[in-house]
Amino acid sequence: MDDFGVRFALYWPALLDGALTTLWLCLAGMLLGFVLGVLIYLLGSSRSRGCVAFAGVYVSFFRGTPMLAQLLLLFYLPAGLGMDVPALVAAGLALALNTGAYQSQILRSGFAAIPAGQLEAAAVFSIGRWRTLLHIQLPQVVRLTLPALISELIDVIKVSAVVSVISITDLMRVSQQLVSQTYRPLEVYLVAALFYLALTSLLALLGRQLERRWQARS
Amino acid sequence: MNHLPDFGHALLVTLGISFSGAALGLLLGFTLNALRLAVPGFIAVYRLYVWLVRGTPFLAQLLLIYFGLPVLGVTLDAIEASILALCLYSAAYFAELLRSAWASVPIGQLEAAQVHGLSGIQTFWHIQTPQALAFALPLLGNQVILTIKESAVASIITVPELTMTAGQIVSNTFSYVVPYVLLVLSYWLLTLLVGFAAAALGRRATRYLRG
Repeated sequence: MDDFGVRFALYWPALLDGALTTLWLCLAGMLLGFVLGVLIYLLGSSRSRGCVAFAGVYVSFFRGTPMLAQLLLLFYLPAGLGMDVPALVAAGLALALNTGAYQSQILRSGFAAIPAGQLEAAAVFSIGRWRTLLHIQLPQVVRLTLPALISELIDVIKVSAVVSVISITDLMRVSQQLVSQTYRPLEVYLVAALFYLALTSLLALLGRQLERRWQARS
Repeated sequence: MNHLPDFGHALLVTLGISFSGAALGLLLGFTLNALRLAVPGFIAVYRLYVWLVRGTPFLAQLLLIYFGLPVLGVTLDAIEASILALCLYSAAYFAELLRSAWASVPIGQLEAAQVHGLSGIQTFWHIQTPQALAFALPLLGNQVILTIKESAVASIITVPELTMTAGQIVSNTFSYVVPYVLLVLSYWLLTLLVGFAAAALGRRATRYLRG
């Protein structure tokens, strides 16, 4: 056990580094995915039949295919067409496109919960569609759907483990490298799994905390 | 496209590992849920299991099983490891779905069953199980879809399923576009079909509620 302590001291700086890469990649994907999610929601609720159909196909595609297949398509397709996409960009974009589909569905329930009277009032005060969205709808939608958005971020962190296949040194990739250096797969992968568990559990805790605080206030 | 037979075989491997993983996972999830109801102290084990499985990525679980278990003397080949990992993974989600399905059966029915002298086991099998499963069918179908999607990760430990085969065709032919487009389209079609089937089965199973 003492032995393990010594080895753990060797593992953890690398794993921490990988965990930070995972975390910021997921946060970037999540934020970009939020913008995409709002866009897809707006397309899906517009009057144009073409936009509605596009939003429907988008959501069905990104929810109906594996993240790994989406990532490979996004990384290798431009390469096949003669463009070079950096792995980090492909990974962030794939995460954003994927979570955008899920977030559009989460946001839809938030938008639906806002009373129609507010939009009518905004129209009467001649507040534009864009400003209504940014200043009236979105702040309320985010607050209403925050627990679901945090649980979506947890899913993004879990699904992000596959970006290791396009050689991004996230938590998963770093642990694979440690295994090939130490030949101790059991303990390295266990420690890596615990890192993920800590990340997802802390976020879950934060989500519950925020939910409770906002419930107490309203 | 002389690689189409490879692709067909790969589709069968994907179907094989996903459906056997999901079927075993449903069985394990059902057992976990039943134990939670029957054994008073089991709830702590149940919660720990669900927390561990749902808090970590499937890839980490798969690597732990495939590369970590041999350290303990249990060596599985890539397909066995994938099926075991998919089973353990989906069981946690299935168990949670079944927990909510069991909660959907009104408590009055359990009291009525008790008054009529049904034993706990009779109530479980004849009152709760049929209604809960009918209620849960669309959700269970959704979990099967998630399992099919996770099975793509098995390509990383060299299971010759769809994703790995597409990658092999790419490295043999240097054509990127067709194999990867075909890959996502196959998954899409597969998950759409399972979704429709689950919705149809769900409607059939809850017909009695609509009279």
